[in-house]
Amino acid sequence: MRKLPVYLLIDVSGSMYGEPIESVKNGIKTLHTALRKEPQAMEMAFLSVITFESNVRQLIPLTEISKFRPPDLEASGGTSLGGALTELVRCAKNEVATSTPDRKGDYKPMVFIMTDGEPTDDVDAALPAFQAYKWGIVVACAAGHDANVGVLQKIAGPNVLMLDVADSNSISAFFKFVTTSIATTSKKVDAGGQEGGMNDLPPPPPEISLFKS
Amino acid sequence: MSIVKLTAEDGYIVEFEDHDGSPPKQGGIKDVYFTTDKKYAVAFYRKKLDSVAEERLERIVNRYRKNIFEQVGGNYWKEIFCWPERVVKEGTKTGILVPFYDKKFFFGPSNGGDDFLEGSEKEGKWFTSAKNFNLFVPVNQKGDLQGYLSVCQQLSRGVKKLHMSGLAHSDLSYKNCLVDPVTGSACIIDIDGLVVPGLFPPDVIGTKDFIAPEVVATAHLKDDQRKLPCQDTDLHALSVLIYEYLFHRHPLEGDKVHDQDPEIQLLLEMGEKALFIENPFDTSNRKTVKSDDGDFLPWIDTNKLPYVITGPYLKELFDKAFIKGLHNPYERPTADDWDVAISRTKDLLLPCSNKKCSMKWFIYDRKSAPVCPYCGTTYNESLPILDFYSTKSGDKYVLENRQLIVYNNLNLYLWHVYKNIFPNETLEDKFKKPVGHFSFQKNKWYFVNQTLGSMRDITDTNNPIMIPINGKVEISYGKTLKFADENTSRIAYIRLTNTPHS
Repeated sequence: MRKLPVYLLIDVSGSMYGEPIESVKNGIKTLHTALRKEPQAMEMAFLSVITFESNVRQLIPLTEISKFRPPDLEASGGTSLGGALTELVRCAKNEVATSTPDRKGDYKPMVFIMTDGEPTDDVDAALPAFQAYKWGIVVACAAGHDANVGVLQKIAGPNVLMLDVADSNSISAFFKFVTTSIATTSKKVDAGGQEGGMNDLPPPPPEISLFKS
Repeated sequence: MSIVKLTAEDGYIVEFEDHDGSPPKQGGIKDVYFTTDKKYAVAFYRKKLDSVAEERLERIVNRYRKNIFEQVGGNYWKEIFCWPERVVKEGTKTGILVPFYDKKFFFGPSNGGDDFLEGSEKEGKWFTSAKNFNLFVPVNQKGDLQGYLSVCQQLSRGVKKLHMSGLAHSDLSYKNCLVDPVTGSACIIDIDGLVVPGLFPPDVIGTKDFIAPEVVATAHLKDDQRKLPCQDTDLHALSVLIYEYLFHRHPLEGDKVHDQDPEIQLLLEMGEKALFIENPFDTSNRKTVKSDDGDFLPWIDTNKLPYVITGPYLKELFDKAFIKGLHNPYERPTADDWDVAISRTKDLLLPCSNKKCSMKWFIYDRKSAPVCPYCGTTYNESLPILDFYSTKSGDKYVLENRQLIVYNNLNLYLWHVYKNIFPNETLEDKFKKPVGHFSFQKNKWYFVNQTLGSMRDITDTNNPIMIPINGKVEISYGKTLKFADENTSRIAYIRLTNTPHS
């Protein structure tokens, strides 16, 4: 059966230490609890968590909601956003079935990226392979003013969300938004809607403002 | 947190908590609050409504509602429809007051399992998806085949009533119908989007799995060339829902690849190229079971559970819905067709001999040694079959296309006895009591007459034998019974099959 893949790319660099990382952990837990009550998501959504600091790791491979266990996260090191994108493409190629003339593939993956700082590796080098893959919705979240919005726009186009500060309120609001997006998209994929731009997503919650370039 | 008090047009006072402006529930276009007495949900449209939408709501809560609920037997519809009762205004915002759903439409405790669903609405998708049904619906809330037939019948009656009132739902889907297979109940919700042909056009084209192929196929065209939701498209949605509740799979979602782009694929497989996965004449959209499909079994295996297992009456309608009528709206079965066919199908039910069978019942397959398709258990009991005959003129009785398959303690009802009585919403409760029952004692079958005053055994037509109330008559091969004197009464001819020596 066709699945709806969802990748969460989470910055766990040193600057996320403390309240931000705890809030992210809570955010993923809340997301998971909420999606369990959505029959469309329970049927077809699969979640993966990729973390990046100086190293990049697919902490949780694409896993159906009912078998997903929210991960423990620790913050330290740099911000290898470029490496994270490369890993994302590798995982998607590996885990997401594309259509062939005789077999239906999965839906296009949704990607949610959250970072609070300046990348410490070469994002531009990772971009061509990232852009060559056919994603569904890609949303990037700049948590706090230290995040490099320009880089995130290269990745996510207009779908960049800004958090004024990376505190528990704003991070939990972001995860609420991710939850609604996944729920809406799984319903919509179910409802035959088109995947694509920000217009398909629910309005962002009041704690987050849409970055205007 | 404070209490908001509003007065509806008719003076009814509505009280609900404002939850500091963040509603306890958010739908697609409405914010939902609950009244302090917990009797109603108050749903406000987030956008300001235009005058046409206002007018439509006004008619839905008044004229259309009264046409359905304020007639004889109106109470019957209170369970099937969650119908908006009043319009309320708060500033520029418009809201509707909708009765709270019955408790049975919310998941209860699972009795030892994981209770993560407790308190959630029993949205249809939990039951129509094989994976959700297999893994997440608590065992004590799954219901059985009889329950699912009743769910489908309730839905059919709801749709029939809307159509008889000149309305179309326009967005029937598992989202807009709550079900309780344990009690065999269904409730149609989100009625505020009703379509009135020629008066109020549809707001949305519907929900993917349920949009009729002609609507999907023309959705990208200019306004005057688009096919819009109407009663005919409701009938497609109803057929899909019935198929999904009975088989936990979608009738059009097979293996055929029309396009390698997932979105175009969806548009084609539900639209222009829609093809029944079990179409006997074109097998190109058959579903094959894949290695990672375990959570969806056995339901998605059409070899193991083909649609014909629901018996001849439903098979005929599925053929009409998904073969003849799939691209030809006028051929689709009506809601009344479904209602009648389900009633007749219930007369073919047999209790599975396997106490652990998930569906508990199966539909008699007209074979001499019936096997439950859900668990593979053979039915070893002897099996009386009643074939019914009725007459137009009074002397010649003609075989009807209906049977009653007998098991121990099965009841006989007035709708079996008289051809002009139907077990539907118009029948008064006092006519719904058993008039007799079948009983298996010491290797013999009997019919026990409970209330029929003029029942006769007419096996020997020259010598009819009266069967008094509280009397019993042995049921054996060739026995012929006339239930009552009236011309509207049926005659039953009895055959026995599956006997140990047959």
